[in-house]
Amino acid sequence: MTTIELLDPTSERQPVTRERVARPATLEGLTVGLLDISKPRGDVFLDRLEELLSSRGVEVLRYRKPTFTKPAPADLRYEISVRCDAVVEALAD
Amino acid sequence: MTELEVRGLPAVFVASVEFVEAAAAQARALGFEPASVFVPHPIQDRTDDEMRALAEAAAGEVWAKLTI
Amino acid sequence: MDLPDGYTVFVKATCPTCQTVVPALTRLREQGADLTVITQDDPGFPAGLHPLDDTELRRSYEAGVEIVPTLLRVEGGRVTDTLCGWLRADWERVTGVAGLGEGLPEHSAGCGSRTLDPGMPERLAARYGGDILRSRRVELGELEDVFEAMDQRGWSDGLPLVPPTRERVLRMLEGTSRDPSEVVAVVPPDLVECTVEKVAINAVMAGCRPDYLPVVLTAVEAACTDEFNVHGLLATTWAAGPVVVVNGPIAERIGMNSGGNALGQGNRANATIGRALQLVVRNVGGGRPGGVDRAAHGNPGKYTFCFAEAERSSPWEALAVERGLPAGTSAVTLFAGSGVQPLSDQLSRTPESLARSYAACLQVVAHPKLVLTWDAMLVVSPEHARVFREAGWSKARLREELDGLLRRPGAELVRGAGGIAEGVPESLAGAELPKFRPGGLLIVHAGGTAGLFAAIIGGWASGAVGSEPVTREVRE
Repeated sequence: MTTIELLDPTSERQPVTRERVARPATLEGLTVGLLDISKPRGDVFLDRLEELLSSRGVEVLRYRKPTFTKPAPADLRYEISVRCDAVVEALAD
Repeated sequence: MTELEVRGLPAVFVASVEFVEAAAAQARALGFEPASVFVPHPIQDRTDDEMRALAEAAAGEVWAKLTI
Repeated sequence: MDLPDGYTVFVKATCPTCQTVVPALTRLREQGADLTVITQDDPGFPAGLHPLDDTELRRSYEAGVEIVPTLLRVEGGRVTDTLCGWLRADWERVTGVAGLGEGLPEHSAGCGSRTLDPGMPERLAARYGGDILRSRRVELGELEDVFEAMDQRGWSDGLPLVPPTRERVLRMLEGTSRDPSEVVAVVPPDLVECTVEKVAINAVMAGCRPDYLPVVLTAVEAACTDEFNVHGLLATTWAAGPVVVVNGPIAERIGMNSGGNALGQGNRANATIGRALQLVVRNVGGGRPGGVDRAAHGNPGKYTFCFAEAERSSPWEALAVERGLPAGTSAVTLFAGSGVQPLSDQLSRTPESLARSYAACLQVVAHPKLVLTWDAMLVVSPEHARVFREAGWSKARLREELDGLLRRPGAELVRGAGGIAEGVPESLAGAELPKFRPGGLLIVHAGGTAGLFAAIIGGWASGAVGSEPVTREVRE
């Protein structure tokens, strides 16, 4: 597939690369989603992250993709996006 | 991954170092580079204690990439 | 481009004249002349003359070849003679070889150069044209869907966009004789110098054709004037957005709609010209909903609102003419409008009765008790216009009638009157107040021929904090 080159329609005062979404100042008081992509051992990794977050008082919600071979289904993504303030997706190898 | 950021959710992707090049290629192809943390390979044959140690080692960087 | 001294001849195998001149070229070389033959299509033609392969057309493009065969005589690196087609007398004169054309016809017209094949000029300009386009390039990832990519970069008004590739932008720029780097306007709110090129990029995205570009450029100019105050219009919590009314021959020439459904959908010129203006304000000026745009409701016209006045059938002069331009001038008028309120009057046969209907419906623009602050545009349909035409009423006569009808005693309008807290200050209780400020009511003629209706486009605030309609001549 060839790459497409477009001309910038804007004033060019913003950088062209798509920026990541703004981050919060702290995780305290927020709900962090931990999304297991279903590769082996990822659950143990996320269990430990959950312990570390919970001990700080950060609320944790656990999620799991049905299979690591496909992207997360739309309803799973939607649920994460409405119930969580941030998400960690692990562990790809 | 990008889908969640598109919905306004800060996201961090954790992968083994084997994934570094693939992640970079995908970032170029998608025109977007998600926040990533890479942990040492291998993963599949690690004991539970070893996995927990990897998580502790990576945790700081994960929190840092989820916050300002 | 660097041409060697001597003679350079551009040919293509499919051109009969090029075939004809092969003996002349052979003779020229036999005479010892420095001859370079450049072929546009078949690298093997002409056989025996060792042509340079220009199937990629770079040399032909750079030399500006329009006809084949073209002969260039070069001395000291400069082209001293150019011959297009075959004219024996000229070729013999320029080459100084008598008998060059022996046995050949006196003349043969030649064919079009491949560089002028349909679509080729833009493609070659994009490939070899260097940087006449100055805008930043945005390279998309190979897995990105181009439509999602544009949307995710925030370029859209919510609807899909046409991808602004170099070729599309170059083609769009052919719609104007203005230089791409010419600054059209300083666009609020970010106060960005907007070039012809930037307007062209947004015009491509909006879906415009190149021949619409002059209208879009003029609309941008008019919108960015201090009087029109597009910044204030953008930042207001009121529903209004720019409305573009087009007059003059250009409207018909580019296929705009001034008749049935003129204020609605379905006509590409109407739809895309209005949209291009909005995209320029959004993308170049940086003005978007949630940002500087704080409209409480907005209105669908903020996607696009552009139409042509129906001039041929109008009993009155064109809006642009009423506003001071010579008859027959192509022009745009920008008006701050907040949507369409149609009015129905299917029984009035006299202009007096119809004018009363209009006045009753105009009084309620924004609020019946609020006067002198809001402007409006009245769009009279052909069927209603007939009533005025048959009675011999000029637009000025209608306006005079409306002015008389649109007056209310202050006591009715003050705050608290009629049990409504809203209204004019109590100090005005003793005055008689007109609904509109002088010049606050615009009247145009447009719409389908079936329908005893008119339409009111409510406006926005006038005066120092508001907007003044602006009319500008279209420069092509």
